[in-house]
Amino acid sequence: MRFKILIRLKNQILEPQGKVIEQSLKSLGFEEFANIRQGKLIEIDLPDTLNEKERLKKIDAACKKLLVNEIIEEYEVLG
Amino acid sequence: MSFKSAVITFPGSNCDRDALSYLRDLTYGEVFNIWHEEISLPKVDLVILPGGFSFGDYLRSGAMASKSNIINEVINHANGGRYLLGICNGFQILTETGLLKGALIQNKSIKFLGKDCYIKKKFNNKFNCNIQNNEVLQIPVAHNEGNFYCDQDTLNYLQDEELIAFEYCNGEHSLDDANINGSLHNIAGITNENRNILGMMPHPERAYQDFHASKDGKKIIESILS
Amino acid sequence: MNDELILQHGLTLDEFQVIKDYLQRDLTIEELGIFSAMWNEHCCYKTSKKWLKKLPTNNEIVIQGPGENAGIIDVKDNDGIAFKIESHNHPSYIEPFNGSATGVGGILRDIFTMGARPIATLDSIRFGNISSDKTNYLLNGVVQGIGHYGNCIGIPNIGGECEFDQSYDYNNLVNAMAIGHVKNDSIFYSKPKTIGGLIVYIGSKTGKDGIHGASMASDVFSEDDEDEKRPSVQVGDPFMEKLLMEGCLELMSSGLIESMQDMGAAGITSSSVEMASKGNVGVNINLDKVPLRQPLTPYEILLSESQERMLAVINKDDNEKIKKILKKWQIDYEVIGEVTNTKRVVFTSKEKIVVDLPVDIIVDDAPEYDREFSLPKKRKNRNFNSTSLSVDKMISNYMNNLNYLDKSWVYSQYDSTVMGETIKEPGQSSGVVKIQNTDKAIGATTDCNPLYIRINPERGMIYTVLEAYRNLIASNIKPMAITNNLNFASPLDPNIMGEIVLSISGLSHIAKKLDTPIVSGNVSLYNQTNDRPINPTPVIGMVGCNLNWKKLIQNKFISEDDELILLGNSLGVNFSPYYLQDQKIVSSTCEYNELLPPDIDLEIKTAKFIQETANKDLIQSSNDISRGGVFMSLMKMTYKNLGFSIMLDDDDIFCEYSAGYILAVHQKNKDEIINLLNKEQINFLSIGQVKRDTFEINSKKLNYSDMIEKYYKNFANIIN
Repeated sequence: MRFKILIRLKNQILEPQGKVIEQSLKSLGFEEFANIRQGKLIEIDLPDTLNEKERLKKIDAACKKLLVNEIIEEYEVLG
Repeated sequence: MSFKSAVITFPGSNCDRDALSYLRDLTYGEVFNIWHEEISLPKVDLVILPGGFSFGDYLRSGAMASKSNIINEVINHANGGRYLLGICNGFQILTETGLLKGALIQNKSIKFLGKDCYIKKKFNNKFNCNIQNNEVLQIPVAHNEGNFYCDQDTLNYLQDEELIAFEYCNGEHSLDDANINGSLHNIAGITNENRNILGMMPHPERAYQDFHASKDGKKIIESILS
Repeated sequence: MNDELILQHGLTLDEFQVIKDYLQRDLTIEELGIFSAMWNEHCCYKTSKKWLKKLPTNNEIVIQGPGENAGIIDVKDNDGIAFKIESHNHPSYIEPFNGSATGVGGILRDIFTMGARPIATLDSIRFGNISSDKTNYLLNGVVQGIGHYGNCIGIPNIGGECEFDQSYDYNNLVNAMAIGHVKNDSIFYSKPKTIGGLIVYIGSKTGKDGIHGASMASDVFSEDDEDEKRPSVQVGDPFMEKLLMEGCLELMSSGLIESMQDMGAAGITSSSVEMASKGNVGVNINLDKVPLRQPLTPYEILLSESQERMLAVINKDDNEKIKKILKKWQIDYEVIGEVTNTKRVVFTSKEKIVVDLPVDIIVDDAPEYDREFSLPKKRKNRNFNSTSLSVDKMISNYMNNLNYLDKSWVYSQYDSTVMGETIKEPGQSSGVVKIQNTDKAIGATTDCNPLYIRINPERGMIYTVLEAYRNLIASNIKPMAITNNLNFASPLDPNIMGEIVLSISGLSHIAKKLDTPIVSGNVSLYNQTNDRPINPTPVIGMVGCNLNWKKLIQNKFISEDDELILLGNSLGVNFSPYYLQDQKIVSSTCEYNELLPPDIDLEIKTAKFIQETANKDLIQSSNDISRGGVFMSLMKMTYKNLGFSIMLDDDDIFCEYSAGYILAVHQKNKDEIINLLNKEQINFLSIGQVKRDTFEINSKKLNYSDMIEKYYKNFANIIN
């Protein structure tokens, strides 16, 4: 089964790319777009034999151990 | 008593050769080059985690290197009170291991920055004791993620415990702003509480030879050896 | 096999017929793909070969001339310097980041495939008018791409050029140069030595990247093409290349490799065919053994340009040792074939032969054309009036022109000091790195004066090479050899073919005079869109050496009151094309006067003088005079709070020079220098001194801080 982990910088941290993207979009006529922040997407396959609880436990462990730096990032699991 | 040191090489480290020369030329002691997959470190006085793009800087700079086999040994070495210096990517690795507080995030300009920068000593430690207060050092930086960040509590702690080693400052007749990458409070390098671990973004190993633009990088080794 | 398919593969129907007649049978689709790649301009030089043969390519310092992955020159004590320049123009227009990144990757592989460790890169990049958003997008993408690749793999960028001209509006140029250090007794060639040697694949898995890239390099774009071409661009992984480089260098220094070739344009096809051709042998390769990222047909495998792959020939006894070393570096490795004595290139897939061709027809018998060319028309002599422009206005024209401003916006995105051996970073007249554990300094520069070449290709090329020459001399680096990247529009236009033929002729002439042979190079043709051709842009990469780095001279002011001595002869306003163009006195190329004949003897004499006096420590610093004249030369020399005060004829301040240099000489050495100049009968003028916080021309003072701010900061201001 395929899972998506969305990783983003915590809100209070300056995310400079988002601002630049916002400016570019505005100059292309997308005036209403605001508060843009860019993050990261990690996709993984996990075996179907694991149940949901086991899968989430493993994903959390992987995030805490390597995939996410909790000093500056937070994450959300989809899928 | 001769001074022994080691440089750890990760896949993608590209300043290991430079760090080895730096140590060989300035310490006159035995210098080891240790591959990241080794599970033991020789007993040395100083370990350098060099600059570069370990593991391509993929996921986050220094993240995967911080989980390498050798890191446990590096932690033991530091816990034993001996010196540990992380330069640029090495600094990033040290924050990822938690040996140093805070994190290094993308430069405010969103661009890679490769130029000379100016730093001065903030609080005294064994890595900068030979440097005068208010003495400005010129040392090159070369990084994408050199912007030091930590939360308010951590910043208070670093200031109260006097763990900020270097700050970016203005260079004489320089046209550029002192803070080159957006770092909180111009922080260019910090130590741990015990002050035996230093992480810094500028590259002292590129500022010590007669043909380098500056020889200020020598002062770090000279401080350690003094 | 219908006509449309043949033409889609970039072959003319005549070329196809030649192949068919030779083979006496139909081709397989895979074989058609091979010819499409190998008979393309980029791989076989069919238009330029005839003329390139006239270049001087050898002298006593040349270890390897053109024909291998890079040229190599001898810098004594068993030290060799390998270098080459290559273009990645079309891919960087389509996808600037990856197009330029992979250009850097490719040229670095050309260096380390010969057993040389890369020690520096330079980049020569050209864009259209900055007022267009597209130009801004390309500039950002290209600089980020070059930085991304070079910085990650850890090789310092020590110089280059960045030019803006509307002729590149739809065809930006990216020429990447790399330099490497090798021990002369450990050079690796692509020629296999043993029949029965195993052919092995080292590096990244193969995917669909860049299929038909070599063909794309020679296609002329039409404006709508971009989106269709997009999937062709290769994506590079500099981390992978760093591992590959370390792994290959370790294999080579362990004596485990017989021969090596990188897989560049046309991947497995070109590397295996070239190996066979050099070694006068055959190759049998099983495509089923090639490590794949995704399922690919044999055709796709043959033409894939996935990056970071090498082809090598090894002795079968060394297989296990090699596997161990490559495993440490996390590099894929597979035995895919063997060297035979059949002189045929044979590829099999699923036990069927899909390609079986004699090597000769692919390489030696590739087409060579003698295209029609025309000579430039004679020019009428004109007098231009410049007195209407005030010095202030002329300075302002330059300070608002990207071509004259300090380019640190570009090169601060590159790491210039990694490897710890950089002596001169970008922003100096030439870049210089030291060879580790020696005192030897290796200097390099890239230059081109497309406007001069448009006016008179032969003379213009001579001026271009002389500028590169002066750039090295100004640092006290002895120029030794050249690599060249010929960037032109379509050779099917006789005028443009004339530019190609004549600039090669000029290059040949000056290279012989200076004794700087051409040891490597690249040709990129068809750089045009919708009949809008680029200016003729044959870029010169010149490399030299000073055995003792302590004898190098600076290119920036060092101390106040140093005497400023001007060498060379002013070309005068009427004969200074860049002055006339950039002060907007002339608007069309046909209005320029013929170029004055370059004074090669004076250039050589002056260069000798500078080297001799620099070696005696009589010169503080020096800079050559080129575009922007004495004024720009002085601007480039400003450093921190050191400016200048000079007196010089208004006309001579901004126009171009022949054998032009500014020397900054300590007052205590001034008399000796002047005596020596008189003795050598070299014209000179003492024009003023280095002065703190001063910007003074003919008693007119401008605010020093303002001027410095403009010169060093306006580039970023204009771009953003």
